[in-house]
Amino acid sequence: MNKRAKITTGVVIGFAAVCFSWTVVSMSAQAAPGVQEGFDWSGEKIYNRYNDTPLQAMTGTDGRRTLNTFYERRQYPGSPPIVPHKVAEAFSGDTAKCISCHGRGGYDAEQDAYAPVTPHPENENCFQCHVPITTENLFVESDWESVSPSRLGRSMMGGSPPPVPHSLQLREDCIACHTGPGAVAEIRVEHGSRGNCRQCHVPQVTTTTFERNN
Amino acid sequence: MKLNRRSFIKSAAAGSAIAAAGSIFPGISFANWKEQTGSAGQITWKKAPCRFCGTGCGVLVGVSGDRAVAVKGDPNCSVNKGLCCVKGFHVVQALYGKDRLRTAKVRRGGKMVEVPVSEALDIIAAKMKQTIKETGKDSVAMYGSGQWTIPDGYVASKLFKGCIGTNNVEANARLCMASAVTGFLTSFGTDEPMGCYEDIEHADVFVTWGNNMAEMHPVLFSRMLASRKRRGNVEIIDLATRSTRSSQASDKSILFKPNTDLAVANAICYEIIRNDWVNWDFVKKHTTFHKGKTNIGYGTEDHFKFKDAPEDISFEEYKEFLSDYTPKKVEKISGVSARDIKYLASLYGDPSKKCTSFWCMGMNQHVRGTWINNLVYNIHLLTGKISTPGNSPFSLTGQPSACGTVREVGTLTHKLPHGVVMKEAHRKMAAEIWDVPLTNIDPKPTYHTVEMFRALDRGDIRFIWIQVTNPMITMPNLTRYRNGALKDDRFIVVSDVYPTPTTDVADVVLPAAMWVEQEGMYGNSERRTQHFDRIVPGPGETMSDTWQIIEVARRLGYEKQFPWGEDEYIGKIWEEYRRFHDSPKHNMAPYDVLKKRSGVQWPFVDGKETRWRFNSKYDPACKPGSEFDFYGKKDGKAWIWARPYEPAAESPDDEYDFWLNTGRVIEHWHTGTMTRRVPVLHRAVPESYVEIHPEDAMNLGVTNGEMVKIISRRGEVTMKASIDGRGKPPRGMVFVPFFDESYKINEVTLDAFCPISKQPDYKKCAVRLEKA
Repeated sequence: MNKRAKITTGVVIGFAAVCFSWTVVSMSAQAAPGVQEGFDWSGEKIYNRYNDTPLQAMTGTDGRRTLNTFYERRQYPGSPPIVPHKVAEAFSGDTAKCISCHGRGGYDAEQDAYAPVTPHPENENCFQCHVPITTENLFVESDWESVSPSRLGRSMMGGSPPPVPHSLQLREDCIACHTGPGAVAEIRVEHGSRGNCRQCHVPQVTTTTFERNN
Repeated sequence: MKLNRRSFIKSAAAGSAIAAAGSIFPGISFANWKEQTGSAGQITWKKAPCRFCGTGCGVLVGVSGDRAVAVKGDPNCSVNKGLCCVKGFHVVQALYGKDRLRTAKVRRGGKMVEVPVSEALDIIAAKMKQTIKETGKDSVAMYGSGQWTIPDGYVASKLFKGCIGTNNVEANARLCMASAVTGFLTSFGTDEPMGCYEDIEHADVFVTWGNNMAEMHPVLFSRMLASRKRRGNVEIIDLATRSTRSSQASDKSILFKPNTDLAVANAICYEIIRNDWVNWDFVKKHTTFHKGKTNIGYGTEDHFKFKDAPEDISFEEYKEFLSDYTPKKVEKISGVSARDIKYLASLYGDPSKKCTSFWCMGMNQHVRGTWINNLVYNIHLLTGKISTPGNSPFSLTGQPSACGTVREVGTLTHKLPHGVVMKEAHRKMAAEIWDVPLTNIDPKPTYHTVEMFRALDRGDIRFIWIQVTNPMITMPNLTRYRNGALKDDRFIVVSDVYPTPTTDVADVVLPAAMWVEQEGMYGNSERRTQHFDRIVPGPGETMSDTWQIIEVARRLGYEKQFPWGEDEYIGKIWEEYRRFHDSPKHNMAPYDVLKKRSGVQWPFVDGKETRWRFNSKYDPACKPGSEFDFYGKKDGKAWIWARPYEPAAESPDDEYDFWLNTGRVIEHWHTGTMTRRVPVLHRAVPESYVEIHPEDAMNLGVTNGEMVKIISRRGEVTMKASIDGRGKPPRGMVFVPFFDESYKINEVTLDAFCPISKQPDYKKCAVRLEKA
């Protein structure tokens, strides 16, 4: 993950040095201790995606998609986002059509936006999890609450690579979400030319510190 | 929901550097949801089966403080391996609708008044006693649910059948799974699928019979798609009465006219025999041939009775019976081309292809539901494609514990946890385990669901306790049954989590704990029992349905039968219930094993789950060396049935010229009482609609979104037209999702049912349309 982020105003500001150089206070550990995360056994995906993605597509910038819009489309950190744009009512949600934009990303004139890339194109029944919105109203109000989203820049030291703060289930392909112009500005890496993400970024699966048992 | 503008890192107010960062990055990280206060933000994950459909996906419920705050698919659950559908990914939000029932309510002077739960329980017990005294034990009834946990259904059966001594126990699974049960019993002598979901990775051909799996069983559908993608030579055939997302994703979509699946299935068998694709070795060793009564009626009149009279027939007689079902003849009946019928037969008949058939409501909510279940088994039996990996006639369920609580615990009028009330040996077993006198258990079944609500209307039943279901939306020919429930001298108790059209007619409403606010077990479509802990506390005075029944039972004087403490009752109930199934044919896993694993399949024998029943390679209950042993039947042989095509109870005519078909959409489950309170789901499909073919709409002068009045002989509903929408009915049919209480489509449907299973047909009745 990068140490710099581009925000909506387009101002690029040094991130890590400013605020993230203190010790991790565990606020929202999304990863589950003891739960198989798929990070290792699905690791091939990252390399394949890296091979398949032209360098230009990994380094482009847009900056219009931000964490604001990212979390607006979710009900809790890690929930499947809604479909924020219009789709034909008769649309079946079949992969070929969704994937034509969300498979590799790129600019879509109709939306005037860069399409975010799905980290799990192998799941073919897109509308199984992603549904459009046809009204803003609710049937009854909800008392729903959830935890705060993961904090950015959880580097242990100024300038050190931050650990992976979220669950990797269905999101084990780093390149899909963290590179390219469709990526969320704040979490887009600027070193997309490097393909072995796990060389530097490791998942944080617990917040406890090491203690000897005896 | 408005954007909740929050500072950059809330709990980090200590650091001024952070406060500075917040002002530097005003646009960063706003959550759309209300953020929890007062918790450390640390999430712990606990396993549970999903609350919604019968697939039985494992979910991990993310808990922070005393609230459920997130969901992940459970990677340890073999059902879904970490993937859910949009309902499952938001299932925890169903707990938090603002209008959760938190206190008990009692009708006084026509008004619902809040009372303490203990007082409501006193009132219920007193009313039951009084009703039994005045009008007899068979005038009180319990109507439960395939959403009951296993302990819920078990204590209900024990109280009503064992202690009070009435067989007035039914569950809404009668409306969704009864034909599957009678199908299994008549073909194999024992209930529930022989295969498991692993069949999906082995099968070369899938035929979905009237089953829109892309929306109704999306996780299993995705497993099919993934298998097709991975293996390349997998074929999916959608055989249905209307085009859906499943048709779009399938390799071939074949449409048939309503009810003619009976003819199509027979034609497939005709072709299999004509081409000598019969697996003779299997058929000779493991099957026998039979026929039953024909012209068996539709049950639309009160007190309807039917008993089948099976007769043995020879293969030659069966073959003769099939001569009415040549592809040419069936093309005329069904609208399916002879070519397509032959194609289907060639897939089932090809010995090199493993075939799996999936079905759910299309075949079960069918006036000949038992028959069509039998006929699809015939195809698999003639070709020997059964009980082996990938060869699987697979009857899916719609509710999370239709199998676990209704079919296995036996919460139906004729059933006991093991066997049926009519058999003395089964009554003896129940009396012994329940510690009640044998004479308590009545050997005569009383009312199946439709007849139970008719009895309520007639006054034969005066008291009914409804738990975890919403019959004032789901009963067919609804107006009659609602009027019945509203009559004087009828006392209705409803246990639920939200206000519904059923709590609207109640005299007492009990606030129920929901899903993971209590400990319990469900049983899914593939014989998998799934335990969940009490993960979060329920609001207000909510109480589990099991505990409500225990409280009332004690007030009725049955302390001895309901002795458990509140901290142990689920485990104790499970171990007592398990005694009913103590045999290699049905052994259930012990409590401590269930607690540990993400679901365990039965028969659970010597610490091992049985994945394919009736196959001696996998199933220890088979006679050794038998290869296949259909041990539900005395001679170990499965039955191939000669069952004819007969038309629906009510078909379109000159006056009512359209078929009405009803069903679901992926976003909403059952009557929407939970899913409509989940923001994402409601916002995707806020209301129901009527799907209509574009040409029919044009003739009617209706454009998309305009109002259409749907009129039957029983009632009418006016709702928006959906033209070229998500699903597309053929000309002459309309389709309506039933979840929306503002458009009670069941006031229009007909209460005709399969005479053998007594399950109503929600898929077929005649209506006419008007532009409204």
